[in-house]
Amino acid sequence: MNEEALLARASEERERIFQRYERGRENLVGQIDPWEDPEFEDYHKTDRYGFIHDERLPRKTAPQKINVEVEREKKWVKMLASWDSPATKEKLHRRIYKGIPNSLRIKIWCKLLDVNRIKSDNPGKYQEMLKLAKIWSTDVRQIDSDVNRQFREHQFYRERYSEKQCSLFNVLCAYSMYNTEVGYCQGMSGLAGVLLMYMDEEDAFWALAILLSEKKYNMHGLYIEGFPKLTRFLEHHDKILTKFMPKLKFHFDKYGLDAILYSLKWYFVCFVERVPFSLCLRVWDIFLHDGERVITAMAYTILKLHKKAIMKLNDMDLIVNYIQVKLHKDFGYEDDIVIYNLERSMEELKRAKLDYPGLPPPNELPKRQLGVFIEPDKKSKIGQRAESFSDTEKHARATVILRREKAAVELQELRVSQSDTVSEHSTVAGVRCEDSLSVLGSRRSLADTSVTSTADLSVFSSGRSHAPENSLDTHSNISDDATGSDGSGICGLSIQRAMSTPRQTVHSTPRGSPHPSSVSPTSEDVVRIHVTYSPLAASPSHLRPVSPSKYKSYDVQKPTSLGFYATNGSTNTENTIRIQVPSEELLTPIVDSGRIITQRYIESHSGIYDIK
Amino acid sequence: MSTNGCNDEAMATNRSGAQRPNGAPQTKVCQFKLVLLGESAVGKSSLVLRFVKGQFHEYQESTIGAAFLTQTLCLDDTTVKFEIWDTAGQERYHSLAPMYYRGAQAAIVVYDITNQDTFGRAKNWVKELQRQASPSIVIALAGNKSDMAAKRMVEFDEAQAYADENGLLFMETSAKTAMNVNDIFLAIANKLPKSESGGGSAAGGARRLADGDQPRTSTCCK
Repeated sequence: MNEEALLARASEERERIFQRYERGRENLVGQIDPWEDPEFEDYHKTDRYGFIHDERLPRKTAPQKINVEVEREKKWVKMLASWDSPATKEKLHRRIYKGIPNSLRIKIWCKLLDVNRIKSDNPGKYQEMLKLAKIWSTDVRQIDSDVNRQFREHQFYRERYSEKQCSLFNVLCAYSMYNTEVGYCQGMSGLAGVLLMYMDEEDAFWALAILLSEKKYNMHGLYIEGFPKLTRFLEHHDKILTKFMPKLKFHFDKYGLDAILYSLKWYFVCFVERVPFSLCLRVWDIFLHDGERVITAMAYTILKLHKKAIMKLNDMDLIVNYIQVKLHKDFGYEDDIVIYNLERSMEELKRAKLDYPGLPPPNELPKRQLGVFIEPDKKSKIGQRAESFSDTEKHARATVILRREKAAVELQELRVSQSDTVSEHSTVAGVRCEDSLSVLGSRRSLADTSVTSTADLSVFSSGRSHAPENSLDTHSNISDDATGSDGSGICGLSIQRAMSTPRQTVHSTPRGSPHPSSVSPTSEDVVRIHVTYSPLAASPSHLRPVSPSKYKSYDVQKPTSLGFYATNGSTNTENTIRIQVPSEELLTPIVDSGRIITQRYIESHSGIYDIK
Repeated sequence: MSTNGCNDEAMATNRSGAQRPNGAPQTKVCQFKLVLLGESAVGKSSLVLRFVKGQFHEYQESTIGAAFLTQTLCLDDTTVKFEIWDTAGQERYHSLAPMYYRGAQAAIVVYDITNQDTFGRAKNWVKELQRQASPSIVIALAGNKSDMAAKRMVEFDEAQAYADENGLLFMETSAKTAMNVNDIFLAIANKLPKSESGGGSAAGGARRLADGDQPRTSTCCK
């Protein structure tokens, strides 16, 4: 096809797509492909085997909750009447953090964004942009395909060419003309989709415009070629992790997990489809009020609240799935608690001067005047892709790759320099190690005490999938797991692999050794567990804690919570060692010759493990 | 990060194999990084979803950035674990693609048989992979949406000829009906070299091996 034919084809396609949205659902009867218009069942779900599940929502909104919401509505209505008064200013922050009543979001969001001002400053602009888009927009095909899959499970968007689908299409097309540097970038349909749940078409357009170009939100830099703001904010995010959660950062690095992989949607669509929608709205309330630093703080808060769980996941797949899918379905904390923590995080980051990565550099800001028509070039009219990357794109790519390589090098250095512990490393790096495990105190090993048993260590794995593998390779754990405290650890139990050939002790093994092959055990399925022989502990009722010699900072009041009991010769089974893990989740170090081999949380409550 | 692949040495230190109480006889565990590329809305995410979870959504949400999933396949003597990078199709995200196909041992370039442009775009992706990706990368071409053959714009023979010329695996697939979805992954798994050793000896080696310790038994044919 020659250029002219291609141009003609592109504009024909654009017109065809536009026409369908203009006609809307009612006028397209029989013309919507079944695949575009899947049937929806309000109350049921069909699983992969064809079984239909009744998944109605529980009727559980507590009456007092509704009462609270009604009371709040009254206050907000009053406040709306005197929006610009000093009293409102004073109360606004607190009330925003408590959550805007859902019925009033439609008004308050417009107020917070000051939509009316920009709208009245630009009369007729939206219609003008929409008209231009119909003739010129080069993003129509992409927008069409994304509208077709945005929030399709939401009542507003479930029907193809429904009113809101048409609004979404219009807003995005008009915006692609209003801000030609951004045009349309995937992700914006999520943003506009949420706005349209609470606003009419034109308000949503202006709200989108404000989110992208007002300096409080500056989302422009996120969506333009090369994503410069994303890069800058991710670097800042990494900085926060390094300072406040170095172990988690180490954990991510260990699995090659760059922040761009798990947090992209946090930044691009402000947590839409990454946290439950009710929580997402609460974050949006605050974001609209306080601006872009809220995203940074929320990213930190999510990881802080779920650090423990994430640390247990030993696979990139599992971590990504947890952060992206599990937290969307069930965040695990009440919204109020999350918001409380978000506020604390913001204070914490502010104290550390890490709440804000700084003013945007010029390359993140719009260069062209917004709302001024510029004819697209031929290539983009035809929809032809660029043959090579622009400098901005090359830079963006290089930055991410560099960040990965830097992380890999740091990881390697950490492993090598990790002669004894991570907290030592952290001190060297001048890092406050808030999540260090050094609260566990005493140094003591029972490696040479009297009872020896051989066992399959999989008993430790009950309820946990990855523990046993890790606990068995002592060496790779030392080099892989950043879990050492300052060379000390509670003991009570020590585990050695039974070896049929002599091998180096843990002491003399080079810690940084990244080669697991060098520690290949010759007899892999035999593990020796040494536990103090305790003749008194003849039955479970006489369970006696194997007390460590001293406690440093661990809960001295409740030494029993430390964990291991020896009940050798218990009534039921000869030669059984019973290990009881108390109910609260606690960190259980496995110690060999005074050194921690591994530490892990044991999840199960009051787990009792019998080793024969 | 590092390249990976099959590692017999890995098996020597594979901590789970022999120690699992119900340990199946040791098979070689190989891990491969696979990337999906192609124009927006051709069905990349749907293919992955079908392959990994056996599901299909008509209105699969658009991928922003990239998604990561894994799936394990069992061949006769080898377990192949795919680390799958499902990338975003919009051109804006093109600049991020190299970081996903970097070090990948396999790629599926997807187009939509009802849209000629997406086929042209697929060819560009193939060209880019041949130029930029690892020289030994196994590339498969998937003509997706084969259930919509009534609207076909790309002929099977045309794509087959192109694939033959370029040494690509080729299948027409349908994420919706599941046609050829497992098959294309299986064909890739069969074509990937599984005897090279030492692939996992770089920095990430230990991690890769540790990952290999947890094959998804549920999806594994025994």
